Amino acid sequence: MKIETIQLASGRSQQIVRVGAGPDLVWLHGLHGVPAHDPFVAELAKRFSVIAPIAPGFNDLAELDDIRDVHDLALHYDDILTALKLDRVCVIGHSFGAMIAAELAAHVPARVARLALLSPIGVWRDDHPVADLFGRPYTTIDKLIWAGGTPIGKMGVRDASAGPVESLVTLARGMTVVAKFLWPLPDKGLHRRLYRITSPSLVMSGAKDPLVPRSYAEVFRAGMHGAKAIEIAGAGHMLPYEQTDVVCKDLLPFMQTD
Amino acid sequence: MKFHWFHLMPYPDLPDDFRQRYAGVWVDPPVRELFDPKRGHAAYNDYLDELEHAERAGFDGICVNEHHQNAYGLMPSPNLMVAALARRTTRAKLVIMGNSPALYNPPIRVAEEMAMLDVLSGGRIVSGFPVGTPMDTTFCYGENPATLREKYREAVALILRAWTEKRPFAFNGKYTQLRYVNVWPQPMQQPHPPIWIPGGGSVETWDWCVQNDFLYAYLSYFGYKAGLATMKGFWEVVDKLGVAANPYRAGFLQFVAVADSDAEAERLYAKHALYFYNRCLHISPSFANPPGYTSIATMRKGIEGQVARAAAMSPDLTWKDIVERGYVVAGSAATVVDRLNDMADAMRVGHLMVLCHFGDMPKDKVYQNTERFARDVIPKLRPRFNEWEDKWWPKDAPPVQAPASLQPA
Repeated sequence: MKIETIQLASGRSQQIVRVGAGPDLVWLHGLHGVPAHDPFVAELAKRFSVIAPIAPGFNDLAELDDIRDVHDLALHYDDILTALKLDRVCVIGHSFGAMIAAELAAHVPARVARLALLSPIGVWRDDHPVADLFGRPYTTIDKLIWAGGTPIGKMGVRDASAGPVESLVTLARGMTVVAKFLWPLPDKGLHRRLYRITSPSLVMSGAKDPLVPRSYAEVFRAGMHGAKAIEIAGAGHMLPYEQTDVVCKDLLPFMQTD
Repeated sequence: MKFHWFHLMPYPDLPDDFRQRYAGVWVDPPVRELFDPKRGHAAYNDYLDELEHAERAGFDGICVNEHHQNAYGLMPSPNLMVAALARRTTRAKLVIMGNSPALYNPPIRVAEEMAMLDVLSGGRIVSGFPVGTPMDTTFCYGENPATLREKYREAVALILRAWTEKRPFAFNGKYTQLRYVNVWPQPMQQPHPPIWIPGGGSVETWDWCVQNDFLYAYLSYFGYKAGLATMKGFWEVVDKLGVAANPYRAGFLQFVAVADSDAEAERLYAKHALYFYNRCLHISPSFANPPGYTSIATMRKGIEGQVARAAAMSPDLTWKDIVERGYVVAGSAATVVDRLNDMADAMRVGHLMVLCHFGDMPKDKVYQNTERFARDVIPKLRPRFNEWEDKWWPKDAPPVQAPASLQPA
């Protein structure tokens, strides 16, 4: 895993994690950033050159000062692809990252060759409300994202090098970024833009996601022309970490077609 | 020292098993189940009587504040209460420890209403600008915790400009855009009413208050012993910035219960204090600290906010706990004077806000507590800090006309 900082045309700096070899693949992380031991990224890296931008704010909240809404955010990611000379690239996003991936594809459809949304958030149904991601101490968020209520595998191993305060700061910073774009509920108009997404698209969701009800996968699928949806039994919101093999079995061939 | 009489306006009829049956007192306790408008009618009128009584008893200021969807704070609009008080009082200053400027769109609404009240009351307004608790601002009013503080600072700056610019101006803010800012009326106090910033312990607020010459008021439910670290932090910033440590730049909120003896204080007031601490302060941890509300610097400093503290509080406190920990300063007048002298020594606060009403205390006890404090405690502490000029308080001049309805026939 290699970490580099690139300069964007906007004048902002952007941190990029690179790992693996093969065709380019952009990974947009979820609520936890890209931990050094990220087991799903490691799996992707076996087949792809994974390019994983760290979402602005995850390292320093001041990075969000001029990124005021989801439109600014989508254009920021467009700037990243420009700086990386990725004219057209495959993109996978998880959770909050899946929302960014969908916004990117809706804002600049031609740049996204293939799109996979894992446990996406960013739309709202009055009849099946998304659970409140913020109306709970963020230290208890595991209960809302893991089907079993606690992290499993390498994601359950806490980084011992950071003290308890810094671990909390890291979590708070990431959740603050998510809150900036999803407060008070996750509907910033994405459903009005989904039709603009023209790439072949795949939606994967966990049937036991405590955060996002099952019906949402269909909202995303139906909103994007010709998208496919796959529901994984027994998985929660942390789908790619809970059932890495099951997810990869369908996901990797889909990303490699062409 | 100056003394201000503060009302929270709690709903007085929360059930005995409130803590067991409901997740918390704030944001989502179902109003249809818990609130009876007839009881509310009586409570509001009692509470206004009590605030008016505090003026008669000799307090310098009477204070109200702002909370939303909260069973212990029935004042979503403190301004409405002050409008009523402005017509029924003539001397006491009216300390408004709302409004949270970020909640009003556009924030010049706050500039307008404060100016209206200042003109109506003859220049007796103190304008408090709290950021607002996480419950009030982010969960009840939908403000984004990631941007709340920035929006708040911008709103305060806009209000101050609206009160001081010589000509109408355009405001192109990040959160508010207005082509014409020209607030009618303007406040009677010039350039504007004193600005008080109620804080819960954010490190950034200290610097900002001192740099802008705002009063910093620490509104604690946990008394002076617990508040000491926060006030120490504030005075360190005053010192660091090379500003005179005038005690009148600081305010503090304290529950007090005065009786003939310490034992009588318990007999009279324990029940009502326990109603407040064990029911009203039953705050759900779910709403106490949304991501972004507490800055990273404050997290690293290890300062716990008021409401986070309440949410983490152990249930079923006893009167002994409450008094020993200093949450309520209670006892004979001599005991209360001693404790408040200790507090004044340690915290250096020129403006003491006291809660003589708490929980479900009935009016006769509130009057008793208020009168005893005014008669037996205030005179003993009054001379403290006399050597300092209070620049954070409305001036008595110019003399103002009392409403005709209040003048002797």
